[in-house]
This record gives sequence, structure tokens and C-alpha cells, in this order.
Amino acid sequence: MSTNSIVEELKKNIAHFQKEVEKEEAGRVVEVGDGIARISGLSKCQAGEMLEFSGDVFGLALNLEEETVGCVLLGDYEHIKEGDTVKRTNKILSVPVGDQLIGRVVNSLGMAIDGGKEIKSDKFYPIEKIAPGVMTREPVTQPVQTGIKAIDAMIPIGRGQRELIIGDRQTGKTAVAIDTIINQKGKDMICVYVAIGQKESKIARIVAKLKETGAMDYTIVVVAGASSPAALSYIAPYAGVAMAEYFMDQGKDVLCVYDDLSKQAWAYREISLLLRRPPGREAYPGDVFYLHSRLLERACRRNKESGGGSITALPIIETQASDVTAYIPTNVISITDGQIFLETDLFYRGIRPALNVGISVSRVGGAAQIKPMKKVAGKLKLAMAQFREMEAFAQFASDLDPETKKQIERGQRITELLKQPQYQPAPVEDQVVSIFAINNGYFDNVAVKDISAAEKKLNDFMNKSKRSLLDKIASGEWDEKIETELKAACSEFNK
Amino acid sequence: MKKKTNLQFAKALYEITKDLPKSHLPEAIKQFVLVLQKNNKLKKINYIIEEFEAYAKKQDGAKIVEIETARKLDHTVLNKLKKIFGENSEITELVNKELLGGARITVNDMIYDASLKTQLKSLRQQLIS
Repeated sequence: MSTNSIVEELKKNIAHFQKEVEKEEAGRVVEVGDGIARISGLSKCQAGEMLEFSGDVFGLALNLEEETVGCVLLGDYEHIKEGDTVKRTNKILSVPVGDQLIGRVVNSLGMAIDGGKEIKSDKFYPIEKIAPGVMTREPVTQPVQTGIKAIDAMIPIGRGQRELIIGDRQTGKTAVAIDTIINQKGKDMICVYVAIGQKESKIARIVAKLKETGAMDYTIVVVAGASSPAALSYIAPYAGVAMAEYFMDQGKDVLCVYDDLSKQAWAYREISLLLRRPPGREAYPGDVFYLHSRLLERACRRNKESGGGSITALPIIETQASDVTAYIPTNVISITDGQIFLETDLFYRGIRPALNVGISVSRVGGAAQIKPMKKVAGKLKLAMAQFREMEAFAQFASDLDPETKKQIERGQRITELLKQPQYQPAPVEDQVVSIFAINNGYFDNVAVKDISAAEKKLNDFMNKSKRSLLDKIASGEWDEKIETELKAACSEFNK
Repeated sequence: MKKKTNLQFAKALYEITKDLPKSHLPEAIKQFVLVLQKNNKLKKINYIIEEFEAYAKKQDGAKIVEIETARKLDHTVLNKLKKIFGENSEITELVNKELLGGARITVNDMIYDASLKTQLKSLRQQLIS
């Protein structure tokens, strides 16, 4: 294009420009501080509306009172003074969504914080949305392979399920979630990892690990770090699920990890108390149950008629001194479809992931296991239950009858087998083979401490010489023929 | 029970005195002062009067108008504007060089922005998009 035509075009554009008097509703700041502001005027303000302050700072209207509007500020508020004008935007708080967010690290408002280029999206989803209703849902039937043997075998998670990961600090809660994300490679799953109130160093480490393992190619990381205001921590999970909903609307399966919701509850408590809402139990406001239930209800599996797709939620809760009867843990336990308990004792005894399989449950996942896993896991669960009963007698090993002794030895071997190092998720077919081998006594001659080495050898052997059998298992086939083949393969390995 | 605000007293005073004949006024005021004393609000009387004046004006249809312009307005324009908003409106004028031209008028809670600065801003928006 020549310079002249550009000038012409520009002139035309300017000539067409309509002069309009902008009409806006405005209020004035009466009080500001601690991340909240009170505004007089704005009589037509909606709940959850974005308000524009000076200096491109936005606020979220939460309290609509007779004379004032109480709002939280989503950004720096040092420059906001009493008497400043506040404009309405007539928009409910929303975040950008779309494919360009994949592989990025963003804050709760969907702005890039990974130093990459600005995220430009023409699609926005409101952060608060009513969860899909009964008629649009479908039972959970497909598995989410976490790659963690203990979980996939005994506490299976399905696509569209909400499974709580709960435990004290330093028990490997985040590790379980991150392993699950890493294992989703090539499984047609998009992951959203929401970090709430975490140390920035920990987030940096996680992002680096995800990049290293190639998991960032299908992952969005939403960060509200420990240094960001409470308001951002409060909206972070909603922003994350809004981004997930976009992909669900495309018919895709999404995994959402909220790490962790107890910190979000703290942030909400802070906001509520500053806005002078009455405190209740543990000083949380009355609607703290709704805070989590409305978030986790948005996890769902939708039927074909409604467009398909699913959101699986893995909320994380940190307990204080293993107290699961505190307010927030009981709330979230009752909302979710099961929980994975991680315990400090087990962690220090070297059982990692430190899963307590006795009290961990999954209320829907069983239907979502592939057939081979369902077959072998049943026996595993029974053996573990018997072992737990007998475990106390383990130290009198020499005086026990052979039957009990056998059960204890089997249990010890299973416990050893279920140990798994971090960042090494196992494919489902390998898991099936290992569990099958231990169930049928092929590891009985291996010393307990050598189990994991033997397992590795078995998996290498199977992958090398019996690949077609593994492929059959991975695709969910299971009949007597496969079982005999598997038996033969294990005997061959044992020779 | 929540503490009563100055504005609530001001509103109450407005409501009781609104349709009161002149002869009843001293009695009503006396009662009001007694109520104030009961609520320990006597020392806040100045604030209550302030709120009362503002509230009464608002109720009587007076508007609080703020006219912001880039340069000082001359009298003819100002008088015209005053006529539009009604005689008893409270009009304040401000000079704000940042507006470049035009005017920004705030009436109660509404801002009517016809300043050159905002127009240029929206022109820029239109040209970029």
C-alpha cells in the first residue's frame, strides 16, 4: 500500500468518527484500605460487577448496601484516595479463554506473568457461572489415569469426578497432582493447575518441571501467589474453571487442580471480615460452604446432546495436625466424590506416595476403570484389607500359622510394590502386569526390599518381548486367553 | 443492634419536618433533640445538620452539578448551563487542563463526558481495533 492511500484511509476513518457524549455512572470512594474499598453512589451497581478505579485498577463489587457498595480491589491500591471517582463497567468479572492460554502462566485475571507476549483473546468467560444441570450430565465412565499405582488400582478417578487430595503439609499432595498432570501426555486431556497462596519459588519449580516433562504443552497454570492480594486468591479457582469450561464447550476433557482450597478459604475469610460480614465457625463467613460447592459443582461430565466434554476436579486441602474434622476439610469432603488421604507417618516410614489406602475412597471411579485393572485390583484390595487386619501381628512372625504368615508377606510385598518415586507415572498396562504378578504369587520368592527392582525388570521384559499383549491390555481387553498368556509370560520371566 | 448513622438521623428529621405546619415546628425540634440526647448524638449535631442539608436538597430535586472544563467558562455559557439544571442546583466549576477541550459534567451520580481527551481516546480505540 502506498503512503497516500494509507493517509486517505486514515482521513476517512477520522472523518467517520462519531462524536459522542459518554454517559457513565460514577461513584466516589468513601473508604479504602486493606485491599477493599467502600464507594458511595453507584445505585444501579450489580453484584459481581467490575468497577473501574483511577489508574486502570479494577474492583469487584461484593457488598451492595443501602448507601455504599463494598468492593475488593484487584491490583495496587496505594494511589487510590478518598473521593476518587469510580466508574461502572456494566461487565461481570470475566477472564480471557482460548487455545492461546495453553502452555502459559497467567494470573487470576488471565494476564500473562511468564514474561511471554501478551495474551490477546476475543473470547471471555464470566468467572462465576451456574454449574451444568441434571439433564445435561452423564455418569462417569472413562478413567483419568493418574499413573500412580495405588490410586489407579484402589482409588480410581473418572473423567468428570471430583476427588479431594487431603493431608498435612509436606505429605506430597502437590506431587500427586503434578504426577497426574505429567501422566496426561497423549491422553487427550487439557490440564489447568491453579496455584493459590503458594510460594512463588514452589510455583517456579513446578512450572520448570512441567516444561521439562513436556506437560506444559497441554497445561495452563493460573497463579495467585502468596504475595498477591486476597482478592486474587479468592477468584483464582473460578478463573481456572472458567478457562476449563471453554475447552469443555469444545467437547474436550479437562483436568483442574486447585492447589489449595484451604488457602482460598482463608483469602475469602479475610475479604469477608474486612467487608464486615458476620463471622461464623472458625471466623469463616456463613457462605464458605457455598464458596466451595459452587466451584466443585462445575466439574461434570456432559452428555453428547449437550456437547460432551468433561471437567475433572482435583481439589487439594491442607489439614493442620491431621485434623480432618476442622470446618473446611469436612465441608470439602462432603462435596467431593471421594478423597485421597496422605499421612505424615506413612511418608516418614518411606511409603511414598504416603497414601492411606484404608480410609481413602473413590465413590464413582470404580465404574471408570478399564476391565483388566478392575479384574486385578479387586484381589489387590482384598489382600490389602486382610494385611491391615494382620499387620499388628507381623512382629510375631515365627509363631504364626502358615496362612496368616502368607497374608502378611503378601501384604508387605504389595505395600512395597505400591511405592513409587515422584515424577515417574506408570502406564496402565505396566500397572496391570505388576499387580497381576504379585496377586498370583510370582514375586513371592523375591525379598521385600527387592520388589521394586524386580518389578522394573518385569516391566522391561514385558515391554520388550510381549508388546502386543500389553497393547491389548491397554485397550481394555481382558478374557481367559489374555490371562493365560499373561501367566505364561510371568512364568517365562521367573525362569 | 447496629449504631445509627448521622444520615439516618438526618433522614428522620427530614421526614418529620416535611409536611409539618410552622406552628408545630418548635415542638418537633424539641422532641428530636431529646432523641438525639438519648442516643448520645448531641455532639454530632453539626454533622447531622450537614447531612440534613444535603439530603433535603436532594429530596427537593436539587442536583449537585460539577462542571469541569479545560478553560474558564464565560458568564453567558455558565448562565445557560445553570438554567438547564434548575435554579436551586449546587453548581461547582473546576478548571482541568488535562481535558484539552470540551466539558465533563457530573450530575449527581452520572458523568456526561464530552471532553476532547475522552473523544481522542475513543478515536484511538477505534483506529487500533
